[in-house]
Amino acid sequence: MMTTRKPRRDKENQVPRKKRTCRFCDAKEIYIDYKDEKRLQRFVTEQGKIIPKRITGTCAKHQRQLVQAIKRARHLAMLPFVSDAIR
Amino acid sequence: MDNAQKIYESTLIINASLDDAQVDGVIARAHDVIVKHGGAVTATAKWGRKRLSYTINKKTNGFYVNMEFTAPGSALTPLERAYQLDEMILRTLTIALDRKALAARAKAQAAAQAAAAAVQAEAPAPVPAREPLFKEGAAEKKS
Repeated sequence: MMTTRKPRRDKENQVPRKKRTCRFCDAKEIYIDYKDEKRLQRFVTEQGKIIPKRITGTCAKHQRQLVQAIKRARHLAMLPFVSDAIR
Repeated sequence: MDNAQKIYESTLIINASLDDAQVDGVIARAHDVIVKHGGAVTATAKWGRKRLSYTINKKTNGFYVNMEFTAPGSALTPLERAYQLDEMILRTLTIALDRKALAARAKAQAAAQAAAAAVQAEAPAPVPAREPLFKEGAAEKKS
């Protein structure tokens, strides 16, 4: 007996999900500088934790560069490792 | 064995309680070590006193200095050692600029040069000398 696949739900076909693009790829950035702390702060939570790429929409390549830059900035005390957040 | 010269970037955090002359002294000592081991300093940028995100050696402020230099690989060990021995240097980060960083640096330099050239070109033309509206001794007022 042939098994038939369940038909896709119409909801998924009607509302296309907007593909979030990496903002570094859009700007054609080659290098993310650790000295640019104001820019790096946008990728870090209030607590100082690095925001995952599924939330920011960054691609894997740029996320790796970003994380390296953030860790360097933390070493130079330009970004905190842990900051006091209002709980 | 002679190593090829690479471009390095070093960021230092110096004790903020030093005055400017002492900070210059610390920077000069670092420069000396680089030059002594066959390097050359290409740029030095002082960012000034900034608040640290966390305390380092119980200090809340630091004087940031960013240096760019070319040096053979063999110069790095004595340089790092000099940083460690200097009590006024709180923290350092020395990196070799990789391919991407070098490309970004070249791009930034080209953009800076283009901006400087554009500013020069756009300089307003000198205003021509105005002719006097009233000639001297002419048009006496009618009484």
